[in-house]
Amino acid sequence: MKRRALIAAALATLVAASLAASAGADTQAGARSEAAAVSCNGTINIGNLTVLTGPAAFLGQSQQSWAALAAKRVGAQLGLKARVIGYDTTLDPAVALTAAQRLVGNRSILAAIGPATSGGVAATSKTLRDASVVHVTPSATRTSLTKGGTPEATSYFYRVVADDSVQGTGQAKHAVERLNADKATVFDAQEPYSVGLANTIERALERRNVTVQRLSVSNNTTDFSSFVTRIAGDTDVVFTPFQVAANANQIAVLLKEQGKRAIVFGGDGTADPAFKVPGSYFSNFAPDLNGVAGKQAIINAWKRDNPERTLDPFGPPAYGAVQSILYAAKRACTGKRSIERVNIKRKMKAGAIPNWILGGNFRFSSKTNDPLNGGFWLFQIQPDGTARQVGRL
Amino acid sequence: MDYDQFFQTIVNSATLGSTYALIALGYTMVYGILKLLNFAHGDVFMVGAYVGFGVLTLFGGAIDPSISIWLVLLLMALAAMAACAVLGVVIERFAYRPLRDAPRIAPLISALGVSFFLSYSVQLLFGAEHRTYDSFNMAGGKLYEPAVTIGSFSISWLRVIGIVAALVLMLLLWLLVARTRIGKAMRATSIDRDAAAMMGIDIDRVIMFAFVLSGALAGAAGVLFALRTDVYPQMGFTPGLFAFTAAVIGGIGSIPGAMLGGFLLGTVEALTVTYLTQWIGIPVGLSNLVIFSLLIVFMLVRPQGILGRPDIKKV
Amino acid sequence: MTEGPRIGQDEWVARSAENIGRHPLLRAADRVPGWARLLLFVVAVALIPLITDDGYINAVVFDTLIFCLLAVGLNVVVGWGGLLDLGYIAFFGVGAYTYAILSSEKFDLHLSSLVVMAICVILGALLGLLVGLPSWRLSGDYLAIVTLFVYQIFISIVTNGHDLFGVDLTGGVNGIANLDPFDLFGIEIVVSKDGIFNSNYVYVALGVFLVVFTALYLVNHSRIGRAWRALREDTLAAELMGMPTDWLKLLAFAFGAAVASLTGSLFASLKVGVFPETFSLTLLITVYAMLILGGVGSQTGAVVGAVVVYVFLEALRDPDVSGWVFYLAALVALVLVVRPRRMIAVVLAATAVFGFVVHAIAGAIDPDWTTSAPPDADAVTRFLDAWVVIPQTPGDAKTIAYIGLIALILLATTVKGIWRWAVLVPTLYLAAFVWENVMSQQPDVTRFVLLGALLVGVMVTRPSGILGERRVEVV
Repeated sequence: MKRRALIAAALATLVAASLAASAGADTQAGARSEAAAVSCNGTINIGNLTVLTGPAAFLGQSQQSWAALAAKRVGAQLGLKARVIGYDTTLDPAVALTAAQRLVGNRSILAAIGPATSGGVAATSKTLRDASVVHVTPSATRTSLTKGGTPEATSYFYRVVADDSVQGTGQAKHAVERLNADKATVFDAQEPYSVGLANTIERALERRNVTVQRLSVSNNTTDFSSFVTRIAGDTDVVFTPFQVAANANQIAVLLKEQGKRAIVFGGDGTADPAFKVPGSYFSNFAPDLNGVAGKQAIINAWKRDNPERTLDPFGPPAYGAVQSILYAAKRACTGKRSIERVNIKRKMKAGAIPNWILGGNFRFSSKTNDPLNGGFWLFQIQPDGTARQVGRL
Repeated sequence: MDYDQFFQTIVNSATLGSTYALIALGYTMVYGILKLLNFAHGDVFMVGAYVGFGVLTLFGGAIDPSISIWLVLLLMALAAMAACAVLGVVIERFAYRPLRDAPRIAPLISALGVSFFLSYSVQLLFGAEHRTYDSFNMAGGKLYEPAVTIGSFSISWLRVIGIVAALVLMLLLWLLVARTRIGKAMRATSIDRDAAAMMGIDIDRVIMFAFVLSGALAGAAGVLFALRTDVYPQMGFTPGLFAFTAAVIGGIGSIPGAMLGGFLLGTVEALTVTYLTQWIGIPVGLSNLVIFSLLIVFMLVRPQGILGRPDIKKV
Repeated sequence: MTEGPRIGQDEWVARSAENIGRHPLLRAADRVPGWARLLLFVVAVALIPLITDDGYINAVVFDTLIFCLLAVGLNVVVGWGGLLDLGYIAFFGVGAYTYAILSSEKFDLHLSSLVVMAICVILGALLGLLVGLPSWRLSGDYLAIVTLFVYQIFISIVTNGHDLFGVDLTGGVNGIANLDPFDLFGIEIVVSKDGIFNSNYVYVALGVFLVVFTALYLVNHSRIGRAWRALREDTLAAELMGMPTDWLKLLAFAFGAAVASLTGSLFASLKVGVFPETFSLTLLITVYAMLILGGVGSQTGAVVGAVVVYVFLEALRDPDVSGWVFYLAALVALVLVVRPRRMIAVVLAATAVFGFVVHAIAGAIDPDWTTSAPPDADAVTRFLDAWVVIPQTPGDAKTIAYIGLIALILLATTVKGIWRWAVLVPTLYLAAFVWENVMSQQPDVTRFVLLGALLVGVMVTRPSGILGERRVEVV
C-alpha cells in the first residue's frame, strides 16, 4: 500500500539526513594525524566526558553546569573565549569509548575534562593519549589511574582531586584514632567508585586491627533494611562510600530505627544536603565552599545560571578542571597566535593556578598528575541537619 | 540466637512483602484479564512516588507543612492513587487496547516502550537526582519512634503504618473483587473473555476497572515505599521486577496468589540477605544470585505458581 | 489492519492475497533475489570507511554492525523459534568475557582471535541449550521470566566475579581491560592510530556479519527452518505430526545464543575492555526494539531495524542534529496522519500563524516570557526564537506543557476529520515549545523518550513491524 512505501521512504530520508548531518556536524575535512591549530582569539573548545544520562546523571549534569560556568568566568578573566561541549559516557565504559572517539574526531577540541568515572578513564585514556588530548578528571578517584604503572595510567590524564588512597586511609585513621572504633562495617554499591574506596578503607582498617564486616549491595538496591539488620549492635562505625547520598542517609536512618549505635561515615559522594542524619561524618575533597573566602560570588553566579539545581559536591571540581586547562591554554598562547593539543599538555604543570575554586592556589604534584598535597576535609552533621567542617582528614 | 535480629528480619519481611504484594496485585489483575505482562507497571509505581513528592512540596515539605502532616500524608496517598489510576487507564486505552487482537509480543513491546517513555520522561522533567520525603523529620521524628516494643526490640510507627495501610488496601481489593458485581465481572473475564462478552459483560469497562485498581494500588505502594527510601526515575525497576516475580510465584492471574507471593518473596529476600548468605558463607553481594537460583528451581518444579491453575490448552 | 487467513482459507492463498495488496515498488524489491540485496548492503557499508576518515563515523558503523548481528541472532530465538528470551544479553556478555579471559593480560593467555571466536560459538550454543531446557516444562511468559532470572544471575556473577572462591575471574565491577586486538591469522589489527579508530575493524565486522547472515539464511531454508515455521504456526499440530518440538525450541535457543556469543567476542576485540555495565537491560530493550520495529521473523527486517534505531539514537545525541531530526519526524508524522494531503499545507500555515500570535501575546504580557536571538545567530534560530515562546525561566510550565502535549497528541489520534486538523495546530506548536524548552536541553535523555514513544507508536499502528511477517505468535 502507498502508506508503507511512504513510511519506508520517510525513514530512509531521515536515516540519510541523520548520517549526513552527524558527519557534517562533528568533523572537519580529512586530515587524520595532522594536528589542527586553534586560534587563540577564537573559541577554545573543551570536551566534557561525563555521565549525562542514566542513574548517575545528576553527577554529570552538575559537572557540566559548573564547567560551563568556568568557561564563562575563567575565560573572561583570562581574556579567552571558551566553551564546554558535553559527551555522554553513561556508566558504561564501552559507550565512553565511542564518546571519546567522537570527541577526538572533533578537531576544534583542544582538551577535555573527564571521564567522570574510573571505568570510563580506563577505557578511554589510551585513545585520548594517542590523539594528544589532555583530559583532567574532577571525579575519577581510582588510585591506579595515576599511580601503579598500569597501561591505562597515561601522561595525558590528570586529576584535580585527591584519589581513593588518600580518602580511604584518612577515614580509617579518623575512625580508629578519634572514634575509637574496633568494629566496623564497610558498604559498597558494586560499582567502581564505591568499590575502590571501600577496598581502601577496608585494608586501612584491617591494618589497624579493626574487625571489618564488608557488605556489598547491588547497585539498584532501593531498600537497605535487610542489610542494616545484619550489622551487629556493637558495631562502632559504618562506612558508606556511596555516590548516592540519599542511600547513605537511608542507612543512617535505618541504624537509628533499629536501635544501633554505629556512627555513619560517608565519602565525598555524600557531601550533599540529602545526607543529614545528625552525628554522621563525611569527607570531601573541598572545604565548605560557602566558607571559603571569595567564593560566594561564584556560587551566586552558578545559582543564577541554574535556578532549578541544588548545590552538590561533584560540580565545583569540574570548575577547577576547566580552570587548569584554561590556564594552560593561556600560558601556551603567550607569544603565539594559535595553539594545538600538545601545547596544552606542555603547559599543564607550568605554574600554579591562583583563585582555585576550592580555595588557595592549585599545583599539580611534580611526580604524578595528582594534586600536590591533595587532601580531604572532614565534616560532621550538626543537630540541625547542616554540615560543619571539623577538620582535615 | 540474636532475637533482636530475628524479629527485625520478620518486620523487614513484612514491610518488603507488603510493597511487593501491592505491586504484584496490579500485575496479576492485568495478566488475568489480558494475558499481558504489563512491564510499565513498575514505572507507574514510580510516578506515584513522584506525585506524592509533588503534593508534599505543595504543602510546604516534611518539616514545616502548612497543614497537619498526617493530613498531608493522607492527601499524598490519595493523590498518588488517583494519578496512577488515571495513568493506568490512559496507558491501557492508547497503548494496549489497539493491540488486543494482535500477536502476543506486540503489547509486550508496547509495554516496554511505555516503560522507557515514562522513566525517561520523568528524568527529563525532574532530573535524575534522588529526592526524599524526609520522613525522618516528619512530625518531629514521630514516625521513627517505637510504636510496639517487645523487650529490647521495637517497631517504628512508620513500619506499622506501612504494613497496616497495605493490608487495609489489600482487604478492600479483596472485598471489591469478591463481593461486588464488577468484581464478579472481572473474575469472569479472566476465566474466559469471549464467554464473558457473550454473557453481556462490557469488557472494555472491566478492563478499564482493572487498570484503575492496579494503578491505584501501585500509586499507594509508591508513596509508602518512598517514605522509607527515596524518589528517583529508576526506582521502579527493582521493586517492579521482584513484584512481578512475586505475582508469578503466587500464581499469575490469582489475586490471593499475588498477595501470598508478595509476602513470600519479601521473606525470601530478607532471609537470604540477613541469614542465608551468612550460613552458606558467600558475600552478601551474591544475594541476588541465591534468590534467583531458588526462584528458577521453584519455577521448574511448579510452573503455575503456588495458587495458579496449570495451563491446560484446549485443542 | 491484521488479516489472518479466514476460516476455510488456505494459508498460501491468504499470503498471495496480501501480496497483491502491496505497493508495486515493494513487490519489485521483493523480486530482487536475497543474495543481491545482501550484497548491496555489504558493498554500501564497505564503502563508508573509504569515503570518510572520521573515526567516530567508523565506530558508529562498527557498532551498528554489532547491533545488526545481535538483532539477527535474537530473530532466531524470537522470530523463528517463537520464544521470548529476556536473557539474551547474557550470552552476548558471556562471549565478550570469554574473549577477555582468553585473549588478554589477565591470565596471560593470548589465543588467536579466530580460535576464541570458535570457542565462543560452541560455548554460547552449549549455554543456550542449558538455558533453553526450562522450555520443556515452561511456556511463553513463564519461560520469559526464567530467562530474565538467568540474566540477573549472569550480572550477579560478573559483578562479584573478582572473588569467586578466591579466584578473580571477571574482574568484578572494574571489568577486564587491556584486551588483545583482533588478529587475523597472525596479523594483528590495531585498534586505533593516534586515537582514531581503525576502519579495518569495520571490514572484520562486515565479514562476520556476512558469514552469520548467510549461515542463518541457509538454516532457515532448510528442514530445521521449515520445522520452526510449523512450530510457530501451530505447535500442537506440529507435535502431533511427530516433530520433536522440544528439541526444535532448544535448537532455536542455541543458535541465538551462539550468534550472541560470537558477537560478544567481536565486540570485545575492539572495545579495549569489558565491563559489567555494558550488559544492561537497556541494551536488551534496545535490541528488542530494533528487532520488533524491523519486523520479527524477517532477517532483513532485523537489519533494517538495527540500522534505523541505532543511527537515530546516535544522531539524536548531537543537539544540532537532533533538532532537525525532531522537526523532520514531526513532519513525517503529519504526512501520515492528515488526509487529504493538501490539508497538510493548511495545518502548517495555521500553526505558523497560531505561533506568531501566541508569541506576540506572550511577549506583550511579560517580556521575560520570550527570548530574542543574538544578532549573529543563523536564520533558523532567529525564526524559532520569534515563533516559539521560550521563557527565560520556564519553571513549572515545562511539566504542564509536556503533559499537555501528550494529552493533545492522544486526543488528536482519537478524533477525526476537521476536529483532527483543528487539534493538530496547537499540538504542533506545543510540540515545538516542549522541544525547544525541555527536550533539546538534554538530548541524551530525550532520545530514549522518543524511542519509547516510537515503540508504542509503531506497535499500535503496525504490530508486525516494518517488514515483519504477519502472524508471529509467542508459543
